Amino acid sequence: MEATPATPAVRLDGVSKRYADSYAVRDVHLDIEAGEFFSLLGPSGCGKTTSLRMIGGFTDPTEGAVLLGGEDVTALPPNKRNVNTVFQSYALFDHLSIADNIAFGLKRKGVDKAEIRRRVGEMLELVQLSGQSRRKPGTLSGGQRQRVALARALVNRPAVLLLDEPLAALDLKLRRQMQVELKQIQREVGITFVFVTHDQDEALTMSDRVAVMNEGRVEQCGTPEDVYEHPASRFVASFMGTSNLMAGTYRDGAVLLDEGPALSVGHRDDVGEGTSVSVSVRPEKIWLSDFEPGMEVLRGVIRETVYSGPTTTYLIELAPGVTLSVLEQNTARARMEDRWIGGETVEFGWRPEHCLVLS
Amino acid sequence: MTLLRTPAPTDATPAEPGRTRLRRRRGRADRKPRVALAVTALFFALLYLPIAVVVLFSFNTIKSLTVFDGFGLRWYRAFLHDEVLINSLGTSLKISLVAMAGSVLLGTALALGLVRCRTRLGSVAGLIMLVPLITPEIVTGVASMLLFKGLGVTLSTGTVMISEITFSISYVTVILRSRVAALNPEVEEAAMDLGATRWQAVRLVTLPALLPAVLACSVLIFALVFDDFVLAYFTTGVDPQPLSVRIYSAIRFGVQPTINAVGTLMLAGSIGLIALALFIPRLFGRRGGLDLLSGK
Amino acid sequence: MTLSPPSRGPRRGRRAPATRIWTWFMVPGTLWMTAFLIASLVLVAVLAVGTTDSLGNPRFGFDLSSVRALTDPAYSHVLLRSLGYSLLTCVICLLIAYPVAYTIALHGGRFKNAMIAAIVVPFFANYLVRMYGWSVVLSDDGPLLRALRSIGLADSGTKVLNTGTGVVAGLVYGFVVFMIIPLYAALERLDVSLIEAGRDLYGGPLRTFLFVTLPATRQGAAAGLVLVFLPAMGDFVSAQLMGGPDQIMIGNLIQDKFFQGQNWPLGSALTMMLMLVLLIGMLGYLRRTRKDEAEARG
Repeated sequence: MEATPATPAVRLDGVSKRYADSYAVRDVHLDIEAGEFFSLLGPSGCGKTTSLRMIGGFTDPTEGAVLLGGEDVTALPPNKRNVNTVFQSYALFDHLSIADNIAFGLKRKGVDKAEIRRRVGEMLELVQLSGQSRRKPGTLSGGQRQRVALARALVNRPAVLLLDEPLAALDLKLRRQMQVELKQIQREVGITFVFVTHDQDEALTMSDRVAVMNEGRVEQCGTPEDVYEHPASRFVASFMGTSNLMAGTYRDGAVLLDEGPALSVGHRDDVGEGTSVSVSVRPEKIWLSDFEPGMEVLRGVIRETVYSGPTTTYLIELAPGVTLSVLEQNTARARMEDRWIGGETVEFGWRPEHCLVLS
Repeated sequence: MTLLRTPAPTDATPAEPGRTRLRRRRGRADRKPRVALAVTALFFALLYLPIAVVVLFSFNTIKSLTVFDGFGLRWYRAFLHDEVLINSLGTSLKISLVAMAGSVLLGTALALGLVRCRTRLGSVAGLIMLVPLITPEIVTGVASMLLFKGLGVTLSTGTVMISEITFSISYVTVILRSRVAALNPEVEEAAMDLGATRWQAVRLVTLPALLPAVLACSVLIFALVFDDFVLAYFTTGVDPQPLSVRIYSAIRFGVQPTINAVGTLMLAGSIGLIALALFIPRLFGRRGGLDLLSGK
Repeated sequence: MTLSPPSRGPRRGRRAPATRIWTWFMVPGTLWMTAFLIASLVLVAVLAVGTTDSLGNPRFGFDLSSVRALTDPAYSHVLLRSLGYSLLTCVICLLIAYPVAYTIALHGGRFKNAMIAAIVVPFFANYLVRMYGWSVVLSDDGPLLRALRSIGLADSGTKVLNTGTGVVAGLVYGFVVFMIIPLYAALERLDVSLIEAGRDLYGGPLRTFLFVTLPATRQGAAAGLVLVFLPAMGDFVSAQLMGGPDQIMIGNLIQDKFFQGQNWPLGSALTMMLMLVLLIGMLGYLRRTRKDEAEARG
C-alpha cells in the first residue's frame, strides 16, 4: 500500500478523546505530509501528547479516525501500526544491551540475524554510539540514552516517527546540540517526524510545520514563520515568543486602546465595527530611531532598561497601565552610551504590517 | 535526647567555618542519649543470647543444657542418623519448594494485575490479599484444617503445601506490588510500539525487569515456609511431618540436644537465605534490598 | 486522492481493552485465595453455630450452644488474660523498641542498615528454635537468672518460666521486631532539622522530644502496636513453653479444642471470638489513623 505523494502520511480526521467529564482532545483535523518534520506545540495539558498517543495506538480516540498513509488504522493496536515512538522517558529496556535494545523491533518482525546485525550497526553509527553496543542503558548518560531510543525506533524504518518531548530531560546545552542532530538525522533518513514539545524555540528551529494546540484544539497550523509572524489568535501570539498585547475596540481602520491612544491598523474586512480586539506587536518589531515614512510613531516613558548580552530590553510606558517591551540588538554599531535610561521620554514606532489585530 | 554529632561519612565535606563553629557549640550542649544507648545494647544482647545458647549447646559433648562440657559434633551425628528427622527435613524442603513456586507464580501475576487493572475485581482481590496479613496464623491454620476436613481430604504433605501457598501469595503480592507500581509503563508501551503483542511485552520486558525482585521474593518465601510452624502444625498429616512440627513435639515433650543441632542448622540456613534475598538485587546492580523485609 | 470514508461514531470495544489481560492475570490467584482462604474462614464461622454428633464429629446446623458456652467464666478469664498479656506485651515492646529505633535511626551513622538487618534477620530464623532458646535463657538455672542472682537482683526463689512474666517475655521476644521496623521507618523519615528547630523553640531536649519527636512518630507507633497485638493475641507457643497451666491463652484453648478436646464447634466459636477482638482493635486503629490524617490535612 505505497502512499501516493498526495496522500498525507498521517491524517487525524475529526479526532476527539473524552475522559469522564472533559475532552483531552477535541475535534482535531490534521494532515501531516510525508517527509515532514511536524511539531505539535502547546502548554502541558493541551492535548498534544494525547494526539501523539492516538497516532501511535496507545490511546483510543473517542471519536474520529486516524489514517496512516491513507489507511484507517484507528482499530489497530500499536504493534500493527507502521509507526515508532521515542518516549519522553526513553523507556529503554534496562536488562538488554544497547544492541539488543535496538534489535528488539527487528527481532519481533523476524528479520534474519545477519540483516539485524547490519542494520543495528548502521543505526549505532548514525547516532554515534558505535563501540558502545554491549553496554547496558543504565550506564549511559542522558544524551546517549536519548540516542539509543532514537536508534531503536528508526531501525524499523517506520513510515512515521513519533517523538514525545524527547529532549525535555536534557540540560539546555545538550538540548541545543540534540536539536541540530535530530534535524540532521531526519533529513538523512527522510522519515516523517511528528514531534511533541512545549518549547516554542524548539518547535520554531526544527519544524517544517507547527500545530499550536490549546485546550484540546489546534489553534493554528502552519510554517514556523506563519505561526510566529501571523498568529491567528491571542493564545498563539502570547505562547509563541513575547508579544505586546493591548486590548481595545476596532473602529474605522483603527483600534482605540482601552487605555491610551488609537492605533491605526488599516481597514479590516474581517473585523466588525465596535468589536473588542487585541493589538499585538512583537518587541523586536518596534523601532526606537530612524523611523520610515508611513510608520506608526508614538511617545512613551522608559520605565526599565534590561541589558542581557546581545540584546537590551526596554519597558516603555505608553499610557498608565499599558507597558510595551521593546527589544534592541546590541550590534557593533550601537554604542552603550546611547542606551536609554529610565525616566526619559522616547519616540518609538512600527511598520503598520507588524501591528496585528487579534479577535 | 538530642542529636549526636559524630563525624559521620555524610558530614565528610568540610563545612564553612562559621557553620562548623555553630555545630560544635551545639554539639557540646547535646548529650548522648545514654538511656537509649544502654537499652539498645541490652536489647541486642538479649536478642542474640537465646540464639547463642542454642548454637553453643549444639556443640556440647554431654546432654546438659546448662553445663558446657566440651566441644564436639555428637548431636549433629545424632541428627544425621535420626531417620525421622532426616525424613522431616526432606518433607520440609519439598513443601517449601512447591509453596515457593506456586505462590510466586500466582502472586506475581496478581501483583501485575492489581497494579495495572483498576476494576472492581481488582479492589476486591486487593482486599482479599490483605486478609492473611491481618489474621493471626492460628486462625488461618484452624480454618484450613476445617476446610480440608470438611472436603473430606486427608491431611498430608499436600494439604500443608496448599495452605502455605495460600498464606504466601499475600506476601508475594504485597512485596511485588510496589515494585510493579514503580515500573515505567512506557517501557511496556515501547515494546508494543516495536511490534510486540501485549503478552510478548509482558514476557520480554516486564518480567525481566521484575526478575531480581521475584528471585529475592522467592528466596524469602522459601525461608518463611521452611520455618513456618503454625500452619504446618494444623494442616499436616501424621507421617511424614515437616521439620518444624517435629521440633515442636520434641521441645514440648522433653528436650533432646539433637534439637540444638537441628536448630543451629536451621538458623544458619535461614540467615543464609535472607542474606541471599538481600544480596540478589545488588547482583543485578540495583541498590537496596532491606525494603523487601520491611515491605510487610 | 483516495480516502477511506471518514467514520466518526464511538469506537469503544473495537479492540480488546488494555485492562482485559490484566484481569486474567488476577483470576487464578483470586480464585485460589477465595477457595482456600475466604471459604475456610466462612466455614469457621458456620461451624461456630454447628453441633457435634454422638461420635464427636462436627455437624452443620444452627445451634448456639457453642457460642453460649463462651460466656463460661473459665473462657472469659482466658480471654481477659490473653488481652492483658497482649496489651502488656505491646507496652513493653513500645518501651524497648522506641529507644532502639531512636538510637539506630538518629545515631546509627553508617551502621544503620547493618543494625536493622541484625534485628530483622534473626526474626526470620525459626520461631520455635528462637523461643526454645529463649526458654533456656530464662530457665531457673539459665544464664539470665544466674547473672541476676550473682549481682543480687534475684534470689534462689525467683522464677521466670512457668509464670505470667515468662509468657509475656516470650511474646515480647517473638514480636518486638514488628514494633521496631515501623518506628524506625518513622524516625528515619523524621527531618533532622525539625529536631533542631524544636531545640530552638523549646530549648530543652526533653521538651523537644515530647513536643516534636514523639508526635511525629505517633503513626509508626500505632502501626507497631497493631502489628504486635495481632500475633500476640493468636500465639500459643509462648504460653506453652514459658507458662504453666495457669497461664494459658486463647490460642492454647483453640489448639486444645481442635486437637485434644475434639470439640470443633467450640473451637470455631473461640476462633470467631478471637477474630472479633482483633477486628475491634483494627477498627480502633483505622479510626485513629484516619483522624490523624484528617488533622494533618487541616
